[in-house]
Amino acid sequence: MKKRGVFFRGVQRKTVALVLALMLAMLALFAVVSMYRTRTLTRIVGETRTAQQESITRISEDTMHSALESSLVNITTLQAKLADQNFTELGDNVRMLQSLARKIFENRDSLEPAPFSLPDPAMDGVPTVQVLCEEGVDYASSEYLGIAAHMSDTLLALFQSSDKIDGCYIGLADGTHLGADDQSRNRYDEQGNRIPFAVRERPWYVGAAETGDLFFSGIERDAFSGDLYVFCSAPVTVDGELFGVVGMDIRLNDLGSFVSSASRQSMIYIINRDTQVILCSEEGRIFSGKDTDMSLILKDLGSGEITDFAESALRLPTPLESLALGGREYYLTGAPMPSVGWAVIIAVDKELIEQPTLQMLAEYDSINDVASREFAEGTSKMNKSVLMLVIMFLLYSTFAAIVAAGRIVRPIEEMTRSIRRSSETGELFEMRDIYRTNDEIQILAESFDDLSKKTRKYIEDITDITREKERIGTELELASKIQSDMLPNIFPPFPYRTDMNIFASMEPAKEVGGDFYDFFLLDEDHLGLVMADVSGKGVPAALFMMISKILVQNYALTGRSPREVLEAVNQQICKNNREEMFITVWLGILDLKTGRMTASNAGHEYPVLCRSGGKFELVRDKHGFVIGGMDGARYTNYEMELQKGSRLFVYTDGVPEATNAAGELFGTERMIAALNSRESGTPEEYLRTVRMAINDFVGDAPQFDDITMLCLEYIGPEKPVREITVPAVVDSIPEVTDFVNAELEAVGCPMKAQIQIDVAIDEVFSNIANYAYGAGTGEATVRFETMDAPKSVRLTFIDTGVAYNPLEAPDPDVTLAADERQMGGLGVYLVKKTMDDVSYEHVDGRNILRITKNI
Amino acid sequence: MLNIGKSLEDLTLTVTLEGRLDTTTASQLEEELRDSLPNVTKLVLDMSKLEYISSAGLRVLLSAQKVMNTQGEMKLLHVNDVVMEIFEVTGFTDILTIE
Repeated sequence: MKKRGVFFRGVQRKTVALVLALMLAMLALFAVVSMYRTRTLTRIVGETRTAQQESITRISEDTMHSALESSLVNITTLQAKLADQNFTELGDNVRMLQSLARKIFENRDSLEPAPFSLPDPAMDGVPTVQVLCEEGVDYASSEYLGIAAHMSDTLLALFQSSDKIDGCYIGLADGTHLGADDQSRNRYDEQGNRIPFAVRERPWYVGAAETGDLFFSGIERDAFSGDLYVFCSAPVTVDGELFGVVGMDIRLNDLGSFVSSASRQSMIYIINRDTQVILCSEEGRIFSGKDTDMSLILKDLGSGEITDFAESALRLPTPLESLALGGREYYLTGAPMPSVGWAVIIAVDKELIEQPTLQMLAEYDSINDVASREFAEGTSKMNKSVLMLVIMFLLYSTFAAIVAAGRIVRPIEEMTRSIRRSSETGELFEMRDIYRTNDEIQILAESFDDLSKKTRKYIEDITDITREKERIGTELELASKIQSDMLPNIFPPFPYRTDMNIFASMEPAKEVGGDFYDFFLLDEDHLGLVMADVSGKGVPAALFMMISKILVQNYALTGRSPREVLEAVNQQICKNNREEMFITVWLGILDLKTGRMTASNAGHEYPVLCRSGGKFELVRDKHGFVIGGMDGARYTNYEMELQKGSRLFVYTDGVPEATNAAGELFGTERMIAALNSRESGTPEEYLRTVRMAINDFVGDAPQFDDITMLCLEYIGPEKPVREITVPAVVDSIPEVTDFVNAELEAVGCPMKAQIQIDVAIDEVFSNIANYAYGAGTGEATVRFETMDAPKSVRLTFIDTGVAYNPLEAPDPDVTLAADERQMGGLGVYLVKKTMDDVSYEHVDGRNILRITKNI
Repeated sequence: MLNIGKSLEDLTLTVTLEGRLDTTTASQLEEELRDSLPNVTKLVLDMSKLEYISSAGLRVLLSAQKVMNTQGEMKLLHVNDVVMEIFEVTGFTDILTIE
């Protein structure tokens, strides 16, 4: 199990990371977009606000302007008309008086003077017709006064007809004056003297007399009260003679209050036909055109623009005009008063007009500021909320990703565990519900399931096949065993025989091979040697080899010569050789007495012969055809002379054809060189030498062919065997000893060796006598042999008693003290110590013990 | 063949061995010693004429040595080379007193 990560690993971690990365990317995008949006919105709000402000300003200005224009122009016009109406009525009344006076004076001659009187101070406050006169004029003597007095009732009636009419009178050309008035006391000074009244110097008198028509004065102050008045007068002329001037005056208090009603920011002016301001509201004061100081505004009016404006106002009602007066902007409008030829001009401070707009803008600004603040706060709150949402979203998506990834990963982990377990325990991987996810995991699990089953099936098949293979292998091994058991494989094969020594070996390349060697005694003096190689390998070759081996041996045992044997075997093999297998055979029969060997070669390798004291050499014999190759094949015999010590080496082609990794063949030359590398040795040693040479040459390359070799050492006929067979009892020991001693003396054995041999005989034979046959009896044979190189004698003790190898007994401890000594085993020990070689074997129910002593 | 000569002088028994002390003759010596040994304190074995000795003879010598260890001493005289070699090989040179 791999170490688990802190929290997650593998696919789960990757999935979570991927989801988080996606989320973060999305959120980053969202943040950028939302930031951009917020900024844009803020900017748009700001721009809209400015635009709105401008729009409000413009619209309110326009609205104000148009509203103001219509109202102000209307008001001005209306005001002018109202004002003018007064003057029109006044003029009509004056014309009526003029007409009346003219008629009276036209008829002056026919009229009696009417009564008239001076002002009576007691009658102050009561409208009366009073007489006034210039200084130095005697009103009583006036001719005109009596005539004019006919108008007294009319004057009084007119005076009383309207509150506005302040005076209704006629000034006469002789310096007298008759008028209706309610003020009489102020006609006199404190001393009671009449105050003169300069009739013919009055502006209204002068004006009317000069113009000869209806005359409106400017705004005048009353000579007595000081109130503001406008005088209207008309001359009374009859036949070109001026008799007087009639006139009326109206108090302008109403007009004044109208004018003064104007506020600080708006002013009303009344100008005369000379564009002089005759009435003006400024800080509540009323100025009269002629007898007041010129105001600042008047000065302004004198300037070009305002003068033009004033002149146009005298003619027609003007539209609203914006002008600068006294450093301030004003809206101006004017309208003419046609009766008197004046004009009304109203000026309104622009600031006043714009104040609502400004207030509105300020209000709007404050509202806007609040809105902006709220908007900013809202945005900030929204950002916080969004941030919170983002965090929650992130947390949730992380959690969801973990859970989702966990769900995805869990089946995979489970599967991994299951597969690991199945690989450890060999359990079958099983499909489970957890894998049924309807996705690739299920497919994977199904694949594993399938694979697991197939693997199980495969393993079972393999097991079966292996079992079968093992069975076949075992059988082949058995076959190989049987095959090798068929060949003589106990060495030395003829322990009794001292006239020759044989060793052979076969190493099949496969379990069973086609090579074989064989040797057998045809009789006491003849030894048959076979070396053969069956074509092919394996079981068929082995079967063929079996038959061949038996045939060769059987025919050889019938006493035929090698040639005859081979021909007979060939005949037999060819009879039933449908498989067309063949075999090469070298067969030799050695006469052990003479060393003469008769051999025949059926297509086999050349034998190698080493004559005594010489070197190994190939014997290039005459080859016949292979056995089994052709029916009726003929072979030939040839002969070789073997001396004492001669060695014959036969082999199959596996030896010279052994191949190394480079593909080189071992060859017969290397084989012969290997054989000659030894000075002497037993056949087994020679074979081992050749085998090692092959191994050294071949190295690690595999063995392709069977390697089969046989070596014969010919020793030759020995001296006649000397032996004695006696009852196996202790009493026979002297007889045996005498027999052996006689032989030893014959070969000139030294005395000491002879005594040692005698002791050995005593020891060995006493053992046989005491133990071999137990309670029963039997015989024992003692054979005497002499040998050369080194010169030695050999005694062989043979009995048919209980199988017992005395050499296996442990050696006694010869270091113990006398009291501790046991006698067992001491005799054999003594023999081992004094003889040069001691050997034991149990063959064919016989105990065979050989002792050899060099002499 | 083994010829055994005995001469008793006081409590010293001198045994002269001539021939071969082997399986067949060892019992002769064993019998002779069994009869004579109880009354001697010293046993002298003269081996000048002894040709050889086998393990059977060694066994008798060992028995005699064990007896004489309890009642006196035992001495071997004139041991020849062959016999001496056998004594050496078998470790008897350490057990026996050879002069």
